[in-house]
Amino acid sequence: MSLNEVNPSIKAFAIVISILILSVFFDPITPLVTILWSVTVTFLFGRVSFKKWLLLFAPFLFIAVIYVWSTMLFPRLQGGDSVIWQWGFLTLTAEGFQRGASLGLRVLSFATLSIMFTLTTKPTDFLLSLMQQCKLPPKLAYGIMAGYRFLPLIKEEFQTLQNAHRVRGVARARTIPDKVKQLKRYVIPLLAGAIRKAERTALAMESKGFTGDKNRIFYREITVSRMDWLFFILMISAVCLSAFISWKLGYLQFYNGEL
Amino acid sequence: MLAKWKLREVIVLSVLAVVFAVVYLLFLQLGNVLFGLFGLIGYDIIFGIWFIVSIIAAYIIRKPGAAFLSETVAATVEVMLGNAVGPQLIISGMIQGLGAETVFAATRWKNYSTWVLMAAGMGSSLFSFAWGFYVSGFAALSPGYVTAMFFVRLVSGALLAGLLGKYLSEGLAKTGALNSFPLGKEHKRNVTV
Amino acid sequence: MSRFEPQIQVEGLGFSYEEGAIFKDLSFSVLKNQSLLLLGPSGSGKSTLAYCLNKLYPEAVDGELVGSITFEGRNLDEFKQGELNQKIGIVFQDPESQFCMLTVEEEVAFGLENFHVPRAEMEAKINHALKLVGLQAEKKTMIHTLSGGQKQKLALACVLALEPEVIILDEPTANLDPQSSSDLVETIARLKKERPFTLIVVEHKLDDWVELIDRCLVFDSNASILFDGSSEQCFGEFAPFLKKEGIWLPKVVEAALTAKDAGVYKGEKPPLRNHELLSGLEDPDAFFKKDTKTRSKSKPILEASGLYARGHLKNVSLTIQKGELTALVGANGSGKTTLSKCLAGLIPLTQGEIHFLGVPLSKWKEKDLFQLLGYVFQNPEHQFITDSVYEEIAFGLEHKSTALAILEKIGLKKHANAHPFSLSQGQKRRLSVATMLVHDQELLILDEPTFGQDANTAYEIMRVLDEKQGAVLMITHDMELVDQYADTIHVLDEGELIFSGTPESLWEKHEVVDRARLKLPFRKQLLNEIVRREIHVAQ
Repeated sequence: MSLNEVNPSIKAFAIVISILILSVFFDPITPLVTILWSVTVTFLFGRVSFKKWLLLFAPFLFIAVIYVWSTMLFPRLQGGDSVIWQWGFLTLTAEGFQRGASLGLRVLSFATLSIMFTLTTKPTDFLLSLMQQCKLPPKLAYGIMAGYRFLPLIKEEFQTLQNAHRVRGVARARTIPDKVKQLKRYVIPLLAGAIRKAERTALAMESKGFTGDKNRIFYREITVSRMDWLFFILMISAVCLSAFISWKLGYLQFYNGEL
Repeated sequence: MLAKWKLREVIVLSVLAVVFAVVYLLFLQLGNVLFGLFGLIGYDIIFGIWFIVSIIAAYIIRKPGAAFLSETVAATVEVMLGNAVGPQLIISGMIQGLGAETVFAATRWKNYSTWVLMAAGMGSSLFSFAWGFYVSGFAALSPGYVTAMFFVRLVSGALLAGLLGKYLSEGLAKTGALNSFPLGKEHKRNVTV
Repeated sequence: MSRFEPQIQVEGLGFSYEEGAIFKDLSFSVLKNQSLLLLGPSGSGKSTLAYCLNKLYPEAVDGELVGSITFEGRNLDEFKQGELNQKIGIVFQDPESQFCMLTVEEEVAFGLENFHVPRAEMEAKINHALKLVGLQAEKKTMIHTLSGGQKQKLALACVLALEPEVIILDEPTANLDPQSSSDLVETIARLKKERPFTLIVVEHKLDDWVELIDRCLVFDSNASILFDGSSEQCFGEFAPFLKKEGIWLPKVVEAALTAKDAGVYKGEKPPLRNHELLSGLEDPDAFFKKDTKTRSKSKPILEASGLYARGHLKNVSLTIQKGELTALVGANGSGKTTLSKCLAGLIPLTQGEIHFLGVPLSKWKEKDLFQLLGYVFQNPEHQFITDSVYEEIAFGLEHKSTALAILEKIGLKKHANAHPFSLSQGQKRRLSVATMLVHDQELLILDEPTFGQDANTAYEIMRVLDEKQGAVLMITHDMELVDQYADTIHVLDEGELIFSGTPESLWEKHEVVDRARLKLPFRKQLLNEIVRREIHVAQ
């Protein structure tokens, strides 16, 4: 049994719930333990290339660092905070540092859970599962699939547009109005072409008898087994266990939205 | 909700969402740069761009649900692309879409003037900020900073989603690609009159 | 239902949009297992009619339908949504926008799912349909990696899997290269022999279809029926009339008409097959002989040596002379577009050197380079960067007044304020070529400039290019154009240049022609047939 075979809807559900639970807490330990757990599970039970994983993880690492940075330098100052360092309007407190670390690790814990999903789930399986388990209307699901198919085409067209603009001698946009014009120059041809193709695709789908009827016999059945629910329970328990560990270590803190 | 939609409209909505999912991911990189320069508020400057598909889809298709569904699908595609925040991004997308949809609903999906489009962009800003406040832990920041972030995002929603969305949709109408949609028909009438 | 009762009966059919009528008051009928060709100038509503026949219209669009269509005695209104689609299948023109799934088998399954085929039967039906079109090896393949020809075969397989009684083909070969087109038509002819079905074809390129079609329905530009009868009659007595209407004819018919005008065709009835044409001609050898024109080649404009690029090109060397029209040909995926982009400096080389006007390409400033070297992309829309036709031409011009003169010349003056995207296909192409001609470039590279164009636009473009002062390099699949216009021809095969020389010398190299999946021009095919016959007679 590998992660790639877990029912996509249950997988997504498990991860969303995990993230919702995680967002109740606000301390560095809970997310840290969750990160360790989810990375271990990803590589032990998922057929995942480390390179791809790193590629997806890197931007989050960057975001996390900036989060920490922002929170440390623009902290919510409270009475009794112990100031470690002060320079001009910048103030670094021990509490600020901990909050920053909590926030950064929180982002990373969401990320590792999400990447676990993304790298072990095929888009088609996800949509099929959403239709079969979550009663997503076929009209919308196949509509998304049809749109998704356009991606490689759009990517190719984008590169062609870049080349075509070079040949026409379009200068690189430097000012903001120029940049807006440039955005328009790319987006409009891409969209105009895509919309016309979309209308043709709709016609082609209807010509094959597609009516959006909800009673459908699927060629590929996406099943739910006991293993899928076991995965769900394991994931949720792990997050709860992380919180428990944090509590034992005396770090656990609820996230209170008040300013 | 979908029963009244033609398949053609659903697929066009989904294609809009796909194109903008790519645009969104590109802007994520720009966001990261601004983020690095200005801190968290850097994100809010361009936050409006992430609501633009709601405005464009609603403005073109003019059916209940267009704003909500397009943003949700865009988020789903971002997840499928494997580049973004993961399944909970779908929830963020739904919440952003709901923000814009609420404004369109308040006009009973009848009014698509510039002001309504801008208000819809601000609706997304409001909803997304409330959600971000909870999930991303803005409470850890100083109240002044959070307030500044909120207003920057509000303006960004009005301009980058509302106004820019209108501008792009109308540019698109000129190409004739929207001739079988309400916006395209409206455009054609204006040209011939 | 008796054999002679019509399977499809159309009476007083009209279809209109808000803006106006597409067609009015059409009446005709189709017999079971007939092969019907719908012919007419573009914009005469043939596709719209085809969509009405299987009830796609008016449901899918905001159009209005009057009159009646009956299928096997039942009015279309009595069919539930989607019900008819199992009985009447359709293959569309654009291979890129017919599918909604990611892999081949899923796409075939999609249709079966729509009709609630039990899961246990699906696999066998999918395999069978894929086998019929020869795609069984691609069952698990991602659709976007298939070639255009394969995609059209897949579209056909999706239709076949539902075992329909009528198959409509809406310009199925419009976006295919000649070899893939013939391939597809052969597949359809074979299928029809194995299991009869009614065939309705909308098509412009008729050569491959002539054998298969038994009846023609011709429309004029106002979408009224001009002719309804057998294909012999249509391309026989009726042919001169069709030509006057600007409707494409099979090449055999076209050649016979030319010969007749010149007084060298003595056949009793107009030909439909090559051998009929040949036996009717007084002196076929003389008739098909080509006047060879020679251009004075002065100096090389572009020299490329030992090019390699991203695994697509292997050691390609070629020279383009001033004043020359060069054709670059080869099968799909042979690296033609890659090579052309390398020559324009749009794709980096991994190895090799290109000199343009004696200076290495890498030494050119991009701005200066593209003043002297133009590139016309396959899809004209990619080239448009402004909101109006006028601005497209005026962009980068110093004297804006010349822009209007150019618009006048390409017949687009009255569309000066229109958005480039809203033009017709032919107008878009003319505009995209014109944007590249305004600077009098020394070298113009074009990626399939006549692809998907009607006959008139194609020849108009070729005339303009033929007259151009500088050099022209053009990628094409159209061997008739190559035969008629090109001075030099380069053949690519899997990234390797396997031939460089005059068209005339290429036609003699059968192994090159076969390897690159080229098709001999009509003229040459007939000349070869004469030789074959002479050998036959001698034996």
